[in-house]
Amino acid sequence: MHIPDGILPVSVALSGYAAAGGLTWLSLNRIKKKFKNPRELIPRASLLTAAFFVAALIHIPVPPTSVHLILSGLMGVILGWFAFPAILVGLFFQAVMFQHGGLTTMGINACLMGIPALLAGALFRTRRYFGVNNKVTNGLLAFLGSFLALVSGALAAALLLIYTITAQLDVAAERAAIITLAGAHLPVALLEGVFTALVVLFLLRVKPELLEMEEK
Amino acid sequence: MKKTKHRVVLLSMIILIGGLILLLSPVGVSAHGVDIAAVPVKAVEVIALYDSGQPMAGGQVAIYAPDEPLEPWLTGTCDEEGRFIFRPDYSRPGLWEIQVRLAGHGDLIRFEVTAAEEAVADGPGGLSLLQKIVMALVVAWGAVGTAFYFSRRNS
Repeated sequence: MHIPDGILPVSVALSGYAAAGGLTWLSLNRIKKKFKNPRELIPRASLLTAAFFVAALIHIPVPPTSVHLILSGLMGVILGWFAFPAILVGLFFQAVMFQHGGLTTMGINACLMGIPALLAGALFRTRRYFGVNNKVTNGLLAFLGSFLALVSGALAAALLLIYTITAQLDVAAERAAIITLAGAHLPVALLEGVFTALVVLFLLRVKPELLEMEEK
Repeated sequence: MKKTKHRVVLLSMIILIGGLILLLSPVGVSAHGVDIAAVPVKAVEVIALYDSGQPMAGGQVAIYAPDEPLEPWLTGTCDEEGRFIFRPDYSRPGLWEIQVRLAGHGDLIRFEVTAAEEAVADGPGGLSLLQKIVMALVVAWGAVGTAFYFSRRNS
């Protein structure tokens, strides 16, 4: 899901930056408006950014390929509006330190992981309609949010890559490889969904306030 | 006169039959003999691996000559070990580019073909596991430090 430099046309990379810029502004604006003291949530965002950064280094073999953890769903569920800027920071360090992704594609990568994260967060916040202490709905919404975040992100990345395959490549072979890689994200999506649900249930038991956003 | 004519016909028949035998016999194949030579050449070997160390088996390779950066000079596919060997055109010195791509992952490296028919390529640029761990810990510690800093200010 981390698209490297030199793969996408310049127009797509620039559009990605424009969209990421807009979403960062929207996220920061919402944070400013919604929270009494946004600084209180920065430690949480910072620690999850570290988890997001390290998770990409953990590869899971899914024959014939291998995929790595992304944790975009967990970010969205725990951080809400903080997820997008946190993912942006994590992507920057991944690109600079390990050439994982790229600086020119950072905008589009942020959108591919950040938008599903925000949607996962929005889905999880619907728990207030079912009772915030309901273990079943908390676990289920966390699982679904995380699972769908990864599946939708992988699908969007695959579609974007398929529609931008350059003519000098063997289009059929590249398309088949992209579809295989996107399919390989399915077991990881299940794994991350279960992991997010376990984290949420654990926090619900030991420190439920970490799942709540202190709003104005 | 008649005897001479018979001799000419007989000679012609002998030549014709002999020619046919030579043409149809295996000896006739030697006219298309094969000459195979094994000559060592200066080739460039591309080794394409993911950062996890897994080979990019089936990765699509595109080689770009220095004077034609838009159209690939050569295209091919990596083998199961992520390898691809080719012989650059040494009559075109300059900075050549190699792009390997598979399923939206890929990279572009450069190598120089000199006038002395040498190819100076980039070596493996991967990080060791220890380097990766240290770098990951450094960034993670930065994040933890940030978390501590904002926790402290709040208390």
